[in-house]
Amino acid sequence: MELSDQPSFDAPIPGQSLTAELGGRPWQNVSQFTTVDETIDYYMERMSSEEFMLQLADILEMGVPVTSIANSIQLSSVMDGTHTVDVGMLVLPMLMEMIMMIGDSAGIKYDDGMKDPNKPKTRDSLIAKAINNYEKEISDINLSGNDKEETSEKKEVMEEPKGLMARRN
Amino acid sequence: MSRQFNSAAVAYAKMDLDGFAKLEDVKQPEKVSGLLARTSKPMKGSKELDYTNPAVRVAKQMQVIRKYRDEINGTK
Repeated sequence: MELSDQPSFDAPIPGQSLTAELGGRPWQNVSQFTTVDETIDYYMERMSSEEFMLQLADILEMGVPVTSIANSIQLSSVMDGTHTVDVGMLVLPMLMEMIMMIGDSAGIKYDDGMKDPNKPKTRDSLIAKAINNYEKEISDINLSGNDKEETSEKKEVMEEPKGLMARRN
Repeated sequence: MSRQFNSAAVAYAKMDLDGFAKLEDVKQPEKVSGLLARTSKPMKGSKELDYTNPAVRVAKQMQVIRKYRDEINGTK
């Protein structure tokens, strides 16, 4: 992960975690759903509502990646005390799949967020080099192919029967 | 839009549904439910699917949703 030079103002203030009593926050208590199955059922029910689908379609059309949406949904549920962080992590791929299914059924061209935009692109010089090598190899193959054909033709012409019992013209 | 590390992308990429489908095709040994039956868990690296594993359960759910997606997109 790259560290940016810009100061981050989203970070919590030091000591912020001590401003509420221990157990005073929803995520510090026992979660509502403890198993993966229960959590999946909860999300299935929530995501199959028409209101949710319409909102999701709007967000997908805005170009927000599926990964970010899934992560936000999961994180907000953790903060509400619906499930734990580990269950949320396990459920994440299913959430993404569900979001993509809603996007597909609505006919939206969404961004799945799986491509890394910071990934270094292939340099043009490398592509040019590869093309040169390819052209060279292709020309070599053609030449060698012709040679082979010629030699085989010569052999066919030159070969004469040599055995004792061979027919002589 | 700038993006930071997203755990969702990693989790999704790690979920190998094709591999899961192949594992499912492998004939699973029949479970013996007698009182004196052995209660051993599948060995690591064995081709048995452990349906008590939460990741396997999630993969199964994903497989069903993927099937619907493929039907919608007409890819399979």
